[in-house]
Amino acid sequence: MDTFITLIQIAVGAALINNFVLHYFVGICPFLGVSRRLGTAFGMGCAVTFVISVAAVLSWTFTYYILRPGAPLPQWVWQTLGGSSATTVDLSVLSYIMYIFVIAASVQFVEMYVRRFFPPLYKSFGVFLPLITTNCAILFACLEIMKHLQDPTKLWGLHEALTLAVFGGVGFTIAISMMAAIREELEMCDVPRPLRSAGIGLITAGIMAMAFMGFTGVDKGIENTLNLLLK
Amino acid sequence: MALQEPTALERFVNGILPENPVYRQLLGMCPTLAVTGGMKPAMTMAAATAFVLISANVIISLIRGLLRPHLRILVFTLTIATFVTIADRLLAAYLYQMSKELGPYVPLIIVNCLIISRCEICASKQGVATAASDAVGMSLGFALALASLATVREVLGTGTWFGLAVLPQSWPNWGIMVLPPGAFLTLGLLLGLAEWVGQKRRSGV
Amino acid sequence: MNDTQKQRGYISQAWLVILLALLYGGALAGVQTTLGPKIAENKKNETYNVIPLLVPGADKTKTVELPVTDIDGKRQRVYKAVSADGKHVGWVLPADGQGFADRIELLIGLDASVSTITGLYVLDQKETPGLGNFISGEAFRAQFTGKSTDEPITVVTFDPASGINEITALSGATISSDSVAAIVNSAIENLKGPIRELRITPRGRGG
Repeated sequence: MDTFITLIQIAVGAALINNFVLHYFVGICPFLGVSRRLGTAFGMGCAVTFVISVAAVLSWTFTYYILRPGAPLPQWVWQTLGGSSATTVDLSVLSYIMYIFVIAASVQFVEMYVRRFFPPLYKSFGVFLPLITTNCAILFACLEIMKHLQDPTKLWGLHEALTLAVFGGVGFTIAISMMAAIREELEMCDVPRPLRSAGIGLITAGIMAMAFMGFTGVDKGIENTLNLLLK
Repeated sequence: MALQEPTALERFVNGILPENPVYRQLLGMCPTLAVTGGMKPAMTMAAATAFVLISANVIISLIRGLLRPHLRILVFTLTIATFVTIADRLLAAYLYQMSKELGPYVPLIIVNCLIISRCEICASKQGVATAASDAVGMSLGFALALASLATVREVLGTGTWFGLAVLPQSWPNWGIMVLPPGAFLTLGLLLGLAEWVGQKRRSGV
Repeated sequence: MNDTQKQRGYISQAWLVILLALLYGGALAGVQTTLGPKIAENKKNETYNVIPLLVPGADKTKTVELPVTDIDGKRQRVYKAVSADGKHVGWVLPADGQGFADRIELLIGLDASVSTITGLYVLDQKETPGLGNFISGEAFRAQFTGKSTDEPITVVTFDPASGINEITALSGATISSDSVAAIVNSAIENLKGPIRELRITPRGRGG
């Protein structure tokens, strides 16, 4: 049951409270660039969610078995080669390079897979896929997962990593879709000329971020309620 | 073709204001918004980005003759990721508290579009001196943008600048300025201001 | 024929990438071997530097980290604080839990018999600036010093707190204050028994 509560907390935290865009400021480029039309914005959100999940699974696997301090695979290699079992092998210096290639690979993989098996889906968001490689939201998800794989007494499992990634992507989709809906309306407004390029978008985002701050503390409330209900 | 490329001095000057990475090109928004709650993290971030940008630009410019077009991006990414790792380790070793505060935003320099775009636009086409001066100019421009945002946010949000008190004790700290919404609002208004000054100058002359 | 040509083509195109990868790998290995120990020490010192503040008389060079299993069967670690002349003066427990905004990480100082709290330190928190972030402040943390571990700490909203194990909440940040008290209570409840057992276990078990 505790696992279930933890997962809900991670999900609510990633999607609403600590929204990737409005709290951590990752994925700002597409958030401002691809949010003119609601349809395209939603497509972009779906593409990011898709890639982020694939990248999270891959990077969790790599981090858990190879990159984290004391990971099983390098430790085994080290001991087979005659190293002492007391030393902890730490390959985390390679993590960043690994992640960026994992992301590039996941983008390629998702693109191939979707084009092959879901042509209509590819038509709707395929064009965004190459852009996603440099989307910081995905690297950020990998880094968050890595942060939770450092302390050997509380390691995240794959289910926790995947929840964070999927709901992080959902949070991104929510934010970018809301932004696009507001901008469609804004086009009919008389915005002061200096603010017309990116300024008004950022100010709108600021007001949205303020609204999202209202979610702070919700996860604690959910935890308490579930504890009461389940015990 | 080569004649039209800007010279080293032009590259340097352009980076600071006329092609300012944040205000003119809207690049590197993620760190701009995330670490400007105070001057100290903002300047550390600017220094880390400058280190990566200058190193990457110089290396790419040195090997520009050997680059294959389709492997170009791969080489850029590899170079940037390596230097970011070095910067991250240096921060963790010598400025541990700051590296903890900046958290994931140091590794996120890898996907800062500013660096890859400078490698693509300048370093892969021009000589080492030009590439280096371009990187220094761009870094200064980036630092300037971060400083402007951090100044507004830190002074209004906590009444201090670089941790030193600048506003009287009676100042009611605008907590919102150091929170995420403050970042969006400040950058939005500053962008508007920069645009307004630009428009005014164009129409006035 | 065609295949070998193709292969040669790949190598001639990719040699730069391979060479760079090797060079960068070497550079990173160098960075890691020179800076790695220093980073590990920084991480360790983050906790060890505050131990003398949490347990009076403790010496950070003598303090040791011990593994312990809490009453839920989870593996945890505690720090056994030892004074400069080798006397056992107390314990430090790392604890964390959900705060108002994000997780709060604490270090709790206890005396040698695990009966009184001797200090509290906030390692990491992201509570609201200007309200909840005052949990890191001296005034709030000092309230925990001297509290008994026999009963849970309760949070009240009037000042000064009158009961034995009561602390006053920060005004405008009741949830943050409650969270800190809850983290402290659950850590003590989960670890009090196991630590006392550690203490009376004969040294024969490798202690």
